[in-house]
Amino acid sequence: MLQTPNPLGSVRPASSERPPAISVRGLKMGYGTRVLLENASFDVKRGEIMVILGGSGSGKSSLMKNIIGLYRPMDGDILIDGTSIVRARGQDKASLQRKLGVMYQSGALFGSLTVLENVRFPLDQFTDLGLGEKNLTARMLLRQVEMGYAEGFMPGALSGGMLKRAGIARAMALGSDILTLDEPSAGLDPITAANLDRTILSLREDLGFTFVVVTHELQSIFAIADRAIMLDPVSRSIIAEGKPSELCDHSDDPRVRQFFNRQSDAAMHKAKP
Amino acid sequence: MSGLRTDDSVKVVLEGRITAYTAAPIWKDALDTLARNPDRPIVVDASRLEYADDVGIALLFDLLRRDRPPQAKVEMRDLASNLAALVEAFDPKDFAQPPPGRPQIGILEHIGRVAAQEVAYVKTIAGFLGQCAGALWYAIRHRGLVRWGEVVSVATEAGANAVPIVLLIGFLMGVIIAFEIGLVAQQFGAVIFVVNGVGVAMLRELGALMTAIVFAGRTGAAFAAQIGTQKVNEEVNAIQTFGLDPVHFLVLPRLIAAALVVPLLTVLADVIGIFGGALVMATFNVSFVQFYNQLLGAVDTGDFVLGIVKAAVFGLAIAGIGCQRGLATGEGATAVGLSATSAVVKSIVWIVVLDGIFTVLTS
Repeated sequence: MLQTPNPLGSVRPASSERPPAISVRGLKMGYGTRVLLENASFDVKRGEIMVILGGSGSGKSSLMKNIIGLYRPMDGDILIDGTSIVRARGQDKASLQRKLGVMYQSGALFGSLTVLENVRFPLDQFTDLGLGEKNLTARMLLRQVEMGYAEGFMPGALSGGMLKRAGIARAMALGSDILTLDEPSAGLDPITAANLDRTILSLREDLGFTFVVVTHELQSIFAIADRAIMLDPVSRSIIAEGKPSELCDHSDDPRVRQFFNRQSDAAMHKAKP
Repeated sequence: MSGLRTDDSVKVVLEGRITAYTAAPIWKDALDTLARNPDRPIVVDASRLEYADDVGIALLFDLLRRDRPPQAKVEMRDLASNLAALVEAFDPKDFAQPPPGRPQIGILEHIGRVAAQEVAYVKTIAGFLGQCAGALWYAIRHRGLVRWGEVVSVATEAGANAVPIVLLIGFLMGVIIAFEIGLVAQQFGAVIFVVNGVGVAMLRELGALMTAIVFAGRTGAAFAAQIGTQKVNEEVNAIQTFGLDPVHFLVLPRLIAAALVVPLLTVLADVIGIFGGALVMATFNVSFVQFYNQLLGAVDTGDFVLGIVKAAVFGLAIAGIGCQRGLATGEGATAVGLSATSAVVKSIVWIVVLDGIFTVLTS
């Protein structure tokens, strides 16, 4: 059996023998009677950075919330490391959700806890480690995301980029190696956004993490994405899947080219023969 | 994990998977082994270690960073190269200092800070009161420019929707007062004078006071939360960038609505409270007719007017405090809740203070 070392230290079967990190099969999702997406199927491979993109209101964040089990899809299935999160219940579902690390758009840190206490929170709740061990782990996680200096800060004192980094550190605390990030670059200045992109890439390269990133920031998409899927609110489907550079230049769908080339509707109409 | 003593070193074997969920006993055992052998070298055999997550990496790092005598160092053997790279990425010097705790403030410093905050608050309130007075005077002189639609909307929510609870509280106050005084008065054969007590208490004091307390809890908090949320969402900034004064735009309609609504609610509370008292007096064999005649002799228009004036002042105070707390809302998820709570507490305190002032002035 071919064995390749995993960056996290385990000696595991080659990735082709493991299930994808996330599998979406025939997904139909929406709110009430309003359908946002139907018959959607895609895989996120281990160690891949997959970007979910689309215009405003296309259902990107809703798709992410279906994947992490916050919302229940109308139809279809979602598998996390080969196990259905849609059919899971109670403690089984909770355990499956803890396999995923989630970073929300504004970090979602708990305002009454320091940054260190926030990162330590999952360890406090779900492990029997002593306080010293938990503190050491949390401090090391903060250093991995270049937030070691902010251990004692309260979330109210952090900038947007710092909140997101701290959110990523907390998402990794229980050893989750599948991270979902909701609009990580939203509201950040270009330098901070570039630094956050670099953090995401180094976590993938050094630790073999898998990322699902919801964003419509083109520069980040081109910087970090291995593959992207594009949602369309009109057709309520995935209208593109592939490498961003290929989609930008060679997609047959004008909506996809318009998105990646950041063209206005007026410019598109002008360009039509 | 297992520990074996050889001639001069202690061997610690790490094997299997070390994850957040499995690390606790392994970590404890490893540290216990180090503690039991302070002068012996420790050899950590990691050849059978299959997997380590972030907690596992922290465990390995913790073993290696321990400060021990030169002859008793910890040595890691046969650790997978990629794991070793992850452990070596951290510098023990970065973790030499303990993690920062929460700042501790001494009692004297705490008292000083609170005193300074209260002084700053009084200054803020004085300025705000001036702005409100200016806004009210402006409304009197430019009635056509007041947002009467907003006044009606606030009055409906704060007034009409509060009628059921005011009726309930007013009725119960009348019943309780009549019953408590009646029990004592019965012993002296002076039951009929309970009517005087109920009438005066409800019209001069309790009608306005209880209505104001209900209004503070219900509407004062709502004003603070509404305006506080608008502050957090930067809607107040948007109002200012349009050249509008937030006090005129947001606070004035609420002040006018409260000044109109609280007296009206007080009238309801007075009527239902006196009715409740009459019901109780019937159990003391005082008929409704007797109650009515006694009441007319006990109270006069001045008592009623005093209650209504108090109610209007209480209403202005509650609305002003609620709006001021809303405009002073800080940032973060807890700020709006703190503003609402603060509005209720301060409103109730000031209602009682103003009532005391009225009592002194009218005694």
